[in-house]
Amino acid sequence: MDPLTILIIIFLTLVGLGCGIAIFLANRFLPEEDKLLKRTEEISKYLPGMNCGACGMPGCFAYAGELAKDVDTLNKYPCMTLMNDKERLKSFGEYLGIDLVGSGQKKVAIVHCAGDSETLYDYRGVGTCKAASQLSSGHKKCPYWRVGLGGCVGVCPVGAVSYDRGKGDAYLEPNKCIGCGLCVKECPRNLIEIVPADMPQYLACNYLSKKNIPGRERCSIGCIHCRMCVRASEHDEVSWDEKKDLPYFDPEKRLPAPAAIEKCPKKVIFKRDVS
Amino acid sequence: MNDLVTIFISMALINNFVLARFLGLCPFLGVSKKLSSAVSMGLAVIMVMTVASIVTWLLYHVLLVPFGVEYITTVMFILVIASLVQILELTIRRTNIPLYNALGIYLPLITTNCAVLGVTLINTREDFTFLETVVSALGGGIGFTLVLAMMSGIRERLQLADTPRSFKGLPNAFLVAMLLGLCFLAFGGMV
Repeated sequence: MDPLTILIIIFLTLVGLGCGIAIFLANRFLPEEDKLLKRTEEISKYLPGMNCGACGMPGCFAYAGELAKDVDTLNKYPCMTLMNDKERLKSFGEYLGIDLVGSGQKKVAIVHCAGDSETLYDYRGVGTCKAASQLSSGHKKCPYWRVGLGGCVGVCPVGAVSYDRGKGDAYLEPNKCIGCGLCVKECPRNLIEIVPADMPQYLACNYLSKKNIPGRERCSIGCIHCRMCVRASEHDEVSWDEKKDLPYFDPEKRLPAPAAIEKCPKKVIFKRDVS
Repeated sequence: MNDLVTIFISMALINNFVLARFLGLCPFLGVSKKLSSAVSMGLAVIMVMTVASIVTWLLYHVLLVPFGVEYITTVMFILVIASLVQILELTIRRTNIPLYNALGIYLPLITTNCAVLGVTLINTREDFTFLETVVSALGGGIGFTLVLAMMSGIRERLQLADTPRSFKGLPNAFLVAMLLGLCFLAFGGMV
């Protein structure tokens, strides 16, 4: 071989080796990495990493930074996505040395409306639910009906809410939902609630006031406040929320109420597919 | 002294890396959406360019010229610059956290920035002395930062401006780049 070629090979090898050794030395002899940053990076490995922002921090890395400073952040600003993921929670608990699995419970969002209220007028304003709901309490007959401009679709980090623009309905897929709670804050009608995933049924109506005309006037499946479900319940699985004037299912007990679902004249209590 | 000033102005304005030599175009369009990140990127480039120029000048004159193997400069410089950026990142990360947070993702991105390789190769091609090398690298970096800051400032305002719908975003950026390039053309023949 040409001696010049050998020289070049030797040169490049030497420079490469030199660079490698330099990086090694830098890694070895530079002062220890900032402990907080190191811990932040370690913690961020256990976080979901989809940067939904439901915890209130700008992304998972920022949340990890807060956690590194103070573990109590987990209680103050819980990461719902993490709480729903049993395996992740377990490994994270092992890393922190705390039992987190017991405190966590899978939760999903439910929509307290399935109605078909008529449209009052053709709304052509700013295309967000919040804006539309402020104009004479919405463009639908029922003032509690979902506005139907898809605000919840836009904020969902996992695409669990799909949207039918023609009908103005948003559908929630419970299997995809991670229970982060972003849509709860977004909905101007407060129709969405975060409940335990094994909640057996829910009321698909949020028609609050008894002073107003009952839901039946405005919607084919609105609650008419007849209390039939309470009377039909056998073991207190349905109680009556006097403040809202609506039936109430205790999320702590989570008792199934098949009789109430059967008796409801408007069929507005929806059975959930719990498996 | 006069020479150094000439080199500085030539590298920063007349032969600006982005608008005259067309090097480092990816950050020019990619990192010019926000002024603050554009300036961070520019500062990182200035730092890497200067350090890389010094190291490659030494290597070139100590290793390559005496043995007459100048034609492997490109390969060697790529190797050196890549590892240099790594070491620099490590150092900043371990010693100065605020600076590390400010530069953020842009520091490792520079590894693949052709402007850095460009400045080292130009330095060797022009046969600069050590001092001239440092000044030329500084000038190149400052010119790069200047153009990036200008571009991001204009793009920030253009986002709010009422431009035709089909021009929103990248098309507008290209138009701005064209106008900036025309402006910098006027520097030609200044020295």
